[in-house]
Amino acid sequence: MNITIKYFSWIRVKLKKSHDLIELDERMSFKELKNNLISKDPIFQEIFKDNSVKYFLNLKELNDDDLILNNGDVLAFLPPVTGG
Amino acid sequence: MIKIVKESFDLENEFQKISSNKNGAYSFFLGTVRSDLSFSNTEIKGIFLECYEELALSQLEKIRLQALKKWDLSECIIIHRVGRLNLGEKIVLVITSSSHRSNSIEACEYVIDSLKIDVAFWKFHILDNEEKEIVYQKSKDSEKMLKWREIIN
Repeated sequence: MNITIKYFSWIRVKLKKSHDLIELDERMSFKELKNNLISKDPIFQEIFKDNSVKYFLNLKELNDDDLILNNGDVLAFLPPVTGG
Repeated sequence: MIKIVKESFDLENEFQKISSNKNGAYSFFLGTVRSDLSFSNTEIKGIFLECYEELALSQLEKIRLQALKKWDLSECIIIHRVGRLNLGEKIVLVITSSSHRSNSIEACEYVIDSLKIDVAFWKFHILDNEEKEIVYQKSKDSEKMLKWREIIN
C-alpha cells in the first residue's frame, strides 16, 4: 500500500524534499511508520522528538500513534505555523 | 469568502463584495511585509510564504464560521497571499461586517490572531543573497490565543 507524506517549513528544508511516496508491504500504525522512517534516515529522530511538530492525517490532526494507516492516506508533518 | 492567492488584491474591490445597507460597521485588518533584521542582523529583502493549501483552506473556513457565529457577523472575508513578497507588499486581509462596531472589531482581531496560530502558513525571510531563513512562531502570539480559546469555547 502507498502512503504520501508531505513536509513543510524546516522539516522540508532539512529533508531537502517536499513529500515522499512510501510503499509499504503491510498495514502499519503511525508509530510503526515513525520507526520505519527513523531506520531509513536518522533526521526523522530529530523531527519526532520535537513536541511542537503536529501531524495531520487526511487534513485532520493526528494524536494517536497507534492509529492504523490505510492505502492512499496523506500524512503531513507541520512545524508551528507563522502566517499572517 | 476565503482566498489563498499569489497575486495582490484591491481593498475597495473586496469591500464592495460585502458592502450592504444592513451593515453599520466594517473592520479591516491588513498585514504587510515590514522591514526586519535577519538572525545575522542584516536587513531582509522580503519574505516567502509557504502553505499547505488544502489544510489552510479548511482551517480558515473553520475560523471564519466561528467568527460569523460568535459575533453575529453578516460576512467575513479572509485573503492570504503565498509565494515571494517584497517589503511593503500586502500579505493578509481580514474584513468583518456587522450591525454594530464592537462585534466587527472584536471578530476581526480574533480572526487574525487565530490565523497566526492555527493555519498552515510558514514565513521565511529572504536575505540579501536570496537565501531563505525560517521565521519562528512568537510565544506572544500563542499566549494571546489562550485568551480567545476561553472566549470562543
